[in-house]
Amino acid sequence: MRTMLCTAQDGQSAVTASSLVGGLLAQVARQPEAPALVWREETVTYGALHTMARAAASRLRALGLVSDAPVGLVAHKSPRAIATILGCLMVGQRFVLPSTQLAHASLTALLEGAGCSRVLTPDQATAAAMPELGAVAVFEDHAPSDMDDADAEVPADYWFPAALGGAAEADCFLLTTSGSTGLPKVVPLSVGAVDAFTDWALDHFDIGPETTALNLAPLNFDLCLLDIWAVLKGGGRVVLVEQDLATNAAYLLRMLDAIPINIIQSVPMFYNLIVHDTHDTPRSFPAVKHAIFTGDSISRSTLAALPSLFPAARLHNIYGCTETNDSFLYEMDPARVDEPGPVPIGHPLPGVHALVLDETGAPVEGTGMGELVVSTPFQSRGYLDPARNAGKFFDRNDGGVTRAFFHTGDLVCRHPDGTLTLEGRKDFRVKVRGVLVNPQEVERIILGHDQVLEAAVLAIPDDTAGHLLHAFVHRKIGAKLNSLTLRQHCAAQLPRMAIPSRIDFVIAALPKTSTGKLDRRQLLRSCLEGESHDLSRVHQTVPA
Amino acid sequence: MTYHASIKQFLLDEFARDMRPEEIEDDFDLIGNNVIDSLGLLKIVAWLENRYGISIDVMDTVPENFNSVTAINAYLERVIPTKVA
Repeated sequence: MRTMLCTAQDGQSAVTASSLVGGLLAQVARQPEAPALVWREETVTYGALHTMARAAASRLRALGLVSDAPVGLVAHKSPRAIATILGCLMVGQRFVLPSTQLAHASLTALLEGAGCSRVLTPDQATAAAMPELGAVAVFEDHAPSDMDDADAEVPADYWFPAALGGAAEADCFLLTTSGSTGLPKVVPLSVGAVDAFTDWALDHFDIGPETTALNLAPLNFDLCLLDIWAVLKGGGRVVLVEQDLATNAAYLLRMLDAIPINIIQSVPMFYNLIVHDTHDTPRSFPAVKHAIFTGDSISRSTLAALPSLFPAARLHNIYGCTETNDSFLYEMDPARVDEPGPVPIGHPLPGVHALVLDETGAPVEGTGMGELVVSTPFQSRGYLDPARNAGKFFDRNDGGVTRAFFHTGDLVCRHPDGTLTLEGRKDFRVKVRGVLVNPQEVERIILGHDQVLEAAVLAIPDDTAGHLLHAFVHRKIGAKLNSLTLRQHCAAQLPRMAIPSRIDFVIAALPKTSTGKLDRRQLLRSCLEGESHDLSRVHQTVPA
Repeated sequence: MTYHASIKQFLLDEFARDMRPEEIEDDFDLIGNNVIDSLGLLKIVAWLENRYGISIDVMDTVPENFNSVTAINAYLERVIPTKVA
């Protein structure tokens, strides 16, 4: 897997290409005409991607950005955005990669809190949409010859680990948690952690120059470490799906028809959509070798349809968190997809240590329930703001070795054969399209509106999205508030995924339990029984 | 002729049943405020195809064409021949 590659400009000895950029440069040197990215039906070769990445790296240097302070990289998915990330990696510039779905106030606070020196965005449209971010440097497609400072031009074979003799401890990607309200946490990943993960992925999924992978997740998702970054490191081809087309089954099927995709990784929603759309006209995509589902539990009905849809594919259920990256994997036997029960998350990946802790924090030995805590070779050492590590990251002596573990917040059950299944959350969070959202935090934001008297936000199970949020809101008398203005109120403080899909106004108090607390169970029952359209029936349950 | 009235009525019926058509601004950001998400987008596309007998190309199902009443109207004016409108 390792390739002897380039020599640094300052005369250091050649280094191995175990790094992400090193792997990519090896392919640039070997096959510059090989396809790296497919975007909007056009192909970007390794040579072209490298030229763009060098331009970005040179621009970073010309701007004098390379420093300890990270830059913010606000980017919708595009080849140029990927080249900008590569440029950062080439010159060793740490970068915060926030979701483009964040409310403006959250985005600003996140980037300021992370100490970002500048905010980069690869397109004018994004820059224009965030004028209040201040020092926005717009990355356009500058050729290296356009540089103001010729010395800033990055040599063709330049890359950061070579320049520094390999700095595995240095941070590169600074990912962010979903942050269903307030500030997302910044999760720094070191060069070493990213290299270890991409090496595992290359090996486990046989990724090489002949591989084509489908990328559905937005650029800021940790999923991209596998389906974009590991694939580019291996010299393969990544087919990028625009975020807004990632839920369009007709488009996705057209793409699968047009291009022989070998690896698909997605939250279950992708598979739900494809299975639903091909129900009446069965289809089959034999080029797919690995179908990976992650981020949420996949339903047995969707799973049962996968072997005929992808007859040559190995089916993998992967479990992981942004903080730790992937930690568990379960390979599903295609012959047993229709067995009942939840799909196990399987066993720890090589080098991963996992414990199941009971309520007292003691490890559960053998079968039983508890919270999953993990330590992985791919994980972050802790949040960028160490004050936020409390209750999440902790050191624990595990078999005589002190390791940094992470509280996943997921409750698991260990079965007699040692496999684990997910049983729910320790907190109230749910997954909406694979993204963790806390309905009670959304409720708090709605209650913050001065015309709202009471609010309840419920997570309603949904076949496609996993869960959808449904808000019941009781307005003050005479309030002018309507569902659109309430949405604007939410959008100013919440990422889009956390804005309720449905808002119903009620004209009487919300149901309460005997102790006077909001009776969520009663409301949920009304929703699930389809009574929510008839709000009067919800009201009839309110005690006089 | 414009399509504003029927677009608003559809949006309200589907996504904001508490409101009257005159309460929705033509330029209200439907996507940024999560009135319609990417699945909602498909609902709108299906409705437009049925109602106006048009076929909407998959590549046209991008937010720019559907993120406000104004945008949807402009899109319809582009794809529906004048004589039909």
